[in-house]
Amino acid sequence: MKKTIYFVTAVVLLVAVALYSAATGSIKVGPWELIQGLIYGGNDHVDVIRDFRLPRIIVSIMTGAALAVSGVLLQAVMRNPLADAGVIGISSGAGFVSVLIATLSPTLIFWMPAFSVIGGLVACFLVYLFSWRSGLQPLRLILVGVAINAMFSGLSQLFNYRGSYAVGNVNQAVSSMFSMKTWNDVEMILLYSSIGLIIAVLLSTWCNMLSLQDRTASNLGLRVMRARVIISFVAVLLASIATAIGGLIAFVGLLIPHIARQMVGTDHKILIPFCAILGGLLILLADTIGRTIIAPMEIPASVIMTIIGGPFLIFMLMRGDRVNGN
Amino acid sequence: MEINRISFQYKNSEQILSELSTSIAQGKITTIIGPNGSGKSTLLALLARNNMPSAGQIIIDGRDLQQLKSKELARILAVVHQQNEAPYDLTVEKLVEYGRLPYRHMFSSETDEDREAVEWALACTKLTEFRSRRLNELSGGQKQRAWVAMALAQKTSILFLDEPTTFLDIYYQIELLDLVQQLNREHGLTIVMVLHDVNQAIRYSDDIKVLKDGNIIAEGEPETIMTSELMELVYGVKAIIRKDEETGMYIVPIATNG
Repeated sequence: MKKTIYFVTAVVLLVAVALYSAATGSIKVGPWELIQGLIYGGNDHVDVIRDFRLPRIIVSIMTGAALAVSGVLLQAVMRNPLADAGVIGISSGAGFVSVLIATLSPTLIFWMPAFSVIGGLVACFLVYLFSWRSGLQPLRLILVGVAINAMFSGLSQLFNYRGSYAVGNVNQAVSSMFSMKTWNDVEMILLYSSIGLIIAVLLSTWCNMLSLQDRTASNLGLRVMRARVIISFVAVLLASIATAIGGLIAFVGLLIPHIARQMVGTDHKILIPFCAILGGLLILLADTIGRTIIAPMEIPASVIMTIIGGPFLIFMLMRGDRVNGN
Repeated sequence: MEINRISFQYKNSEQILSELSTSIAQGKITTIIGPNGSGKSTLLALLARNNMPSAGQIIIDGRDLQQLKSKELARILAVVHQQNEAPYDLTVEKLVEYGRLPYRHMFSSETDEDREAVEWALACTKLTEFRSRRLNELSGGQKQRAWVAMALAQKTSILFLDEPTTFLDIYYQIELLDLVQQLNREHGLTIVMVLHDVNQAIRYSDDIKVLKDGNIIAEGEPETIMTSELMELVYGVKAIIRKDEETGMYIVPIATNG
């Protein structure tokens, strides 16, 4: 019952913030005018909103959803509450390859998502390779991940500092501004993220089994290695696509799952869809605040997100302590 | 189960088991005992396919253990481990329902058979009234019984228990072993367990296998094989063996050897 309330509230908030976001900015329209204009056309203001603001809204939501779900999957598969695409280097691996492609061969920009997935996979593989010692050791995994993250971040910055022609392009690829998003971006992120999110929901039973120990999951008939590879792949896909189109945004994959667990518990059947909604809501909210609070200037969504998300996570943890009595 | 000349070693370490052969009687309680590092838990892990032997073969229900599909095996053999981890908010019922996963596919929904198996497992372990409790709200003994219930929901003919009583108080130790015995006598489950306590092994087992340095030193009915010579050889202790009408045979270690 409590879970249903959280679910409904999150969905209602998401719709409300999306509507508010679409109606607010340098061009202002009423919500009714907006809906009419979108359906019947013929309203210049609404056309501008459709071309510029809607893509931005959809990309924000999908980026947040993909990053949050990627975080839940990684935490399940690595049995580690600190695992997150941003922390263990998957996002920076994806970002680095994006930068590399944008610099070396800008004509391949259409294939950027595919390349960024490869970057994410390489980072993920390296993390497993160096932290696997007849099992996953939590501390070692995070240390290796932080090292891989530092390495790829450094490599990206190396390209930034070359001061070449490509710099403008590059900054866009690794920063987290949602301005200048087009319907092409929307198509791309909608396609890949939706596939990733649907598979993630289907994998929820495996995630639940992996939250027991490996040997127990195996005794229940799960092929643990295969499950681990598939879940990791989906997590990397989601994080890399989000990074390629939405840019580098740290901590969503860490913040949202922990907040969500405090609200709806640890069953992945509920947790995964809830994280998708909450992640979308958080990033959209952050982007909307970022572009309206000191308009016409903009603050990146990632900055606003950490300022809202950090304190909120601490608040939820303190509340959880009281409720669970530990 | 037939075990033919199995060997095992961890990477870059010395051999833990070498060419071990034995068999496990159907419908009986078999207990593996031995000192620390004798390879008893390793043997159980190999039989449960939590580890792969480096050589040799294990036959279960007339089939090669390594050839069985994961879910097939999980419908023949269930395991209760010494220590278990679960999310803090998992309820007893949810945990026991996990025991039905070997029978489920990605899109299949719960069947009557699943529900019956879960109810039966909860009833056997006297957890029916605790079904909606979270695991971390249970006592140590109840928690261990919940894991037994999950294994029972798998509806296997073979149940493994790896030192199931190690972290329990005496009361819960006896309660758990009585439950194991009841499952064997009333439901015909083949039980294989690793125990630390020699007297509990004698009291509850039909068959004991004594391991030392990866070899089976003695096996058979407890009352025939357990002698003071064996205790000295395997554990390095001098022990007095007594028999009492009420308790049956029991062993009291009195001094270390030397």
